Amino acid sequence: MSPLCRAGEHLSRRAFLKGAAVTGGGLVLPNWGGLAHARSAAEAATKAKKRCILLWMNGGASQIDTFDMKPGRPTGGPFRPIQTKVTGLQVCEYLPKVAAVADKLAVIRSMKTHSPDHPDGIYHMHTCYKMSERTPHPELGAVIAKFNGDLGSDLPTFVRMGSCGNAGAGYLGPAHEPFSLGREGKLGAFTSPYLAADAEMKRAELFRFVEGEFAADHKAEPFDSHRTAKERAWRLLRAKAVFDISKEWPAARERYGDTDFGRGCLMARKLVEAGVPFVEVGHENYDSHADNFVCHKANMQHLDLAWPALLTDLADRGLLQDTLVVWMGEVGRTPQINNRAGRDHYIRAWTIVLSGGGIRGGQVYGATDADGKDVRDNPVSEGDLFATIYKALGINHRAKHLSGVRPVWLTPEGSQPITELLG
Amino acid sequence: MPDLTKPTLVWTLTWDADWVTAVAFLGSSRRVAAGNNLGGVLVWDLPEKPGGDPPKPLLKLDGHTNCVSKLACTPDGKTLLSSSYDHSVRLWDTAARATGEEKLVLNATAIADAERRKSNGAKVPPPIPATVGVVKTSQVFDGHKEWVTALELSRDGKTVLSGDDGGHVVLWDVAGKRVAKRWQVKGWVAALALSPDQKQACVGERVPLVFDSGRHAGLKLWNVATGEVAFDLSAEFKGQHLGAAAYSPDGKVLVVGRGGESEGTLTLVDPVAGKKGKALAPIHQYGATDLAFHPDGKHFASAGRDTVVRVWEDATGKLVSELGKPRGGQFKDWVHAVSWSADGAWLAAADMAGAVQVWHFAG
Repeated sequence: MSPLCRAGEHLSRRAFLKGAAVTGGGLVLPNWGGLAHARSAAEAATKAKKRCILLWMNGGASQIDTFDMKPGRPTGGPFRPIQTKVTGLQVCEYLPKVAAVADKLAVIRSMKTHSPDHPDGIYHMHTCYKMSERTPHPELGAVIAKFNGDLGSDLPTFVRMGSCGNAGAGYLGPAHEPFSLGREGKLGAFTSPYLAADAEMKRAELFRFVEGEFAADHKAEPFDSHRTAKERAWRLLRAKAVFDISKEWPAARERYGDTDFGRGCLMARKLVEAGVPFVEVGHENYDSHADNFVCHKANMQHLDLAWPALLTDLADRGLLQDTLVVWMGEVGRTPQINNRAGRDHYIRAWTIVLSGGGIRGGQVYGATDADGKDVRDNPVSEGDLFATIYKALGINHRAKHLSGVRPVWLTPEGSQPITELLG
Repeated sequence: MPDLTKPTLVWTLTWDADWVTAVAFLGSSRRVAAGNNLGGVLVWDLPEKPGGDPPKPLLKLDGHTNCVSKLACTPDGKTLLSSSYDHSVRLWDTAARATGEEKLVLNATAIADAERRKSNGAKVPPPIPATVGVVKTSQVFDGHKEWVTALELSRDGKTVLSGDDGGHVVLWDVAGKRVAKRWQVKGWVAALALSPDQKQACVGERVPLVFDSGRHAGLKLWNVATGEVAFDLSAEFKGQHLGAAAYSPDGKVLVVGRGGESEGTLTLVDPVAGKKGKALAPIHQYGATDLAFHPDGKHFASAGRDTVVRVWEDATGKLVSELGKPRGGQFKDWVHAVSWSADGAWLAAADMAGAVQVWHFAG
């Protein structure tokens, strides 16, 4: 067999992933619908190490309109601050429930980052590396999936909903690629079988046989990825019930808010409880170059229900101490209000909030100047943030991998965890 | 009769502390009031005839602590109403005496900006000083718990319809501030108008989300007596957030303007039949912000985010005149609001750039 790849084996990762979803349709394991999945999910949960939920504010939330308010300043805008139970921490008047759980939050007001636009910012804030680097760095979720996940679980180890990261598993390979749900936490249509169980079983067996024959002659990564995705899809179907929140939702709807983001947060809670080590929930509508204040007001009314409900639920179930909840987006927003009543992208001084597992809550780290235009104290880079997150989750932030033959590290050289934030 | 085809910009009343967001003539007097994004309200006394230097403000009405969203005055000019993001509507006695004085520099922001850019050759303008009497006394209507975004006064000046971002629409009387009717719409109140007979209210509603399934926009005509929907025009204006609405004085025409950052189409509606009518051209590019009927009942003015005010004939939808030009480029400041003088010969426009434009139509 030739050591060289055949031309036809040079499939793009994107093409492969697209194909995997289609090919996976209708392939269902024989024990579909049985209770075996419940046992495997519970086992996965007991084995799980620390978990992480990333609440991703897609487009970039305004720090001045949420956690770093500047009342009375030209940059302040129309929102007014309310006091929390944490000294020195005021939050927007439209986040009263967030204010009530402020003792769980560690607010970093001094993010100073390097990628000002959406694709590069999304990549950078998911990988802690610049998009322009040639190395395909893995997202936070893929790293946590690798180090804290159980590949033997029927459940995926890296789940995301809505608009989220754009880097995937990078050099960690296809086993750690994200599994995407719909914005409201729905499973893809491919998880619904369209054949009777016995027919599905015969079909799956036949498919595996053909795949096995094909694999003997096709060793390229895209094909391996394809097979891996299919296997994961089959296993996932055994645990499909974990993705059904219809029983919990009526009781949770009021607390989480009857929104896509609210359902996503409940789903995230259920998934980490079942042993999924990383779940990302996207919250849209923050890219408010125009009408920033009405956009943020509408968003905060969703955020203020779902996020505190998630933290409270995790705490009540004894999960918060082992579940890190990160609130961030790809950029902050300008202190200056433009003539579209908007705020544009801003990376010189913005805010991220951590809470839960490994984090000492009830504190503000760093500070900006009077108008919020620059960091005054304790600037935090992407690398420092990720080093802190990894440290909180028990992962060595300087763990080394190989991308091809090139050594790469989880965080850039010089990145340091912020010890003040760690519990 | 003023010739509405011949507008002349006679004064630009500079006040650049922040965006000027609301404007209203005070009854049939020569006075005009304007509110800004910080909650300030200034009152000017305009000269009888065009010409000369722009007048300086006389009074500052001190009370609001957040953006003034709308201003309206009773026809007798005695009571000025101001709605605000501070959740209140204030009622000002226009004859109240000032209890103090304050010195203002009306172009302080322009001076500060130029000072910052001095090294790049920016020329610092001379200050425009003014001394204003400060009025602190006002009555407060506190029937809202959210940003009061819309305010409409009945033709007789006795009844107010106000709406907020919590979706609450409240009908109340000026004299006693008693609530006669209150109802809630599905979204936030974005546009509000009361028919001349006070039997119908037009409410444009929205939840300004872009991608989320919770986004919402609607336009409904409500029976004021019952608080029930008379006509739901949401399907006809599908997905459109209406930012402005106004009934003609005879109640036969309703004009609505699409707001937000959108194609600011103005559309005529038959409020009696509940039917969508003609869409007017040209649009206010980037969104309409305000509508105001001329006292003759045959014309109305519209304002938008394109920095232009237009005067229209309501029977035909024909454009009569255009006040100002787009300032060039994209999104160059909005004209937030417009108000006609009682004689219909003057129009004041609230300019986001930090000024009140005063236009005159010669007779």
